Order: sequence, then structure tokens, then C-alpha cells
Amino acid sequence: MKSGLKTVLIMLSIVGGCATQGPDVTGASSQLQTRQIQTRQYETLDKKMTMRSVIATLQDLGFIIDDADPNLGTVTATRLHKYPMRMTVVVVNKGEKQVSVRASARIGKKSVTDARTYQDFFVALDKAMFLTLNKVD
Amino acid sequence: MPKSALRLPESTLELRSIQSRSFEAESEAKILAATVAAMQDMEYNIDTVQIDLGVITASKTTDATSNSAVVGYTMLEILCIAHGTYCDTSEKIPDKFRTTITMVVLPSLARRGEFTARITLHYVTINTLGKVMKRESIVKAETYQQVFEILSNAIFIEANEE
Repeated sequence: MKSGLKTVLIMLSIVGGCATQGPDVTGASSQLQTRQIQTRQYETLDKKMTMRSVIATLQDLGFIIDDADPNLGTVTATRLHKYPMRMTVVVVNKGEKQVSVRASARIGKKSVTDARTYQDFFVALDKAMFLTLNKVD
Repeated sequence: MPKSALRLPESTLELRSIQSRSFEAESEAKILAATVAAMQDMEYNIDTVQIDLGVITASKTTDATSNSAVVGYTMLEILCIAHGTYCDTSEKIPDKFRTTITMVVLPSLARRGEFTARITLHYVTINTLGKVMKRESIVKAETYQQVFEILSNAIFIEANEE
């Protein structure tokens, strides 16, 4: 009986140990669909001023800025309130008059794919852009 | 420190070729912008950017829980209890993966308009107690091919926008 239990225990450890596969490296969402819900175009401000508005919005939302690069237009921020959330926002010039803002977020172990969440972010960004445009600090 | 810690393994060249691919692009700025977009497409957050060196590092945390592992270890605990002993298996149950990708995009020294992208991928597995269970580099050629496919699409989109 004892050796039977031992065999079962060893087998279960092997099953448990082997069951984990590697990480999801490339993500699960469709490349184009994701871009669509994560991106907005603006015609009001230039790249630098838009980046300032993005940073102000992230701060308004309780994020701490981890990294920002003015050349590539990237801003990465983390918020630890209630649940860990990480966002990367990228601002790029589109033609001479437009800037494109793309936001991507992760909450804990999951990527945010809900269009509504991004819509809320852009509503907040719209307000910050308006304040920057009207030179309100 | 182990003696072979800084010794190049024989597989270096093979691995380098799996991790590298050449792309054509209008400018360095365009290919770097496409690289950042590809990282976002793959659901990573950008950690650091060194634009002058063409280095972009990004990471993401994903789920590592597997039902069979949880079931297996729960049964193991039940069997232990049934036998009057206690065995805590929480440190054996994987909870999350922390995957880090570094992409280095440099202009070709030989050909104008051509760029070489080299990717390195590694991940750590973290258990339900928040401790690191293992650290591994990803060496599977198929995974790198999938990443390059996404980067290639991103370069195409970048080139055809505006």
C-alpha cells in the first residue's frame, strides 16, 4: 500500500511539473483590430505638446511614469492602486498636421482588450489636450 | 561563478541567425516606430528605449496557471492529508510568466536602406508565493519567426500610412 501511494505521489508530481507550457510571446489579439481600438488621431497639438498631455493624463489617472522617450514618443507608466496596471502610450507624427496616439494597457497578467477602457482613456486625454491647447497649467 | 559563464557556446551562430532578420525601410526612425508598434501589437509594455543605439526593451506578465498542475498538486495535498502528513505544494504551482523582449535594430553597414533586427527573449516563471521558480531563454526558432512576422507586418503598415 505504501509503495502504491509513493508511485501515485511521484506520478502526480511529474504531471503537475510538466503541465506548464511556455509563455504567450506574441499575444492573442488580431494585429489590426487591436490597433484600431487603441489609437486616436489629433490635429490640435504637436508631438511634444501631445506627449505632455499624455503624461498629465497618466498622472491624473494615478500612474507613475516609468520611462519616456521624446524621440520615439513613448511613455510607459505603472499604477499599483487596487490592481497592478501598466500602460505604454506612443505619440507619433502622421503627416505634417496630425499626431497619432496609441495606448496599450495590461492589468496584472492580462492585456486590456476592452474598447471601452481605451475610450475612457482618450476622453481623459481629450480634456488634457484641451487644457494644454488653452495653456491652462 | 561557473567556469563557462562567459564562454560562447557552440550554438551561438545558429542562435544568432534564428534571432536576426534583415528588413528594408525608408529610414531608421520609421523602422524604430514600427518596432515599438509591433511590441504593442504583441501586448508588451515598453521598459526602456535607447534610440541612438537602436535598443528597445519591453516586458509583459502573463498567466502561467495550468489546470492540470493545480489539480495534480491539490490531489497530492489531499493524499498527504489522507496519510496523516502535510505537504504544501504552493511553491511548485506556477502562477505567472514575466517575459522580456529586447529588440536591437541597426542600419546595415553594407547596404543603405537595409536594417538588421536582432531579438532576444527570456522569461521567468513565478510561483503562487511570488517567488521565481525558473529563468529561461527562449531558443525556439518558431517563436522568433512569429515575432518577425508581426514586425514585418508592422513595417509594412508603417511604410503605407500617411
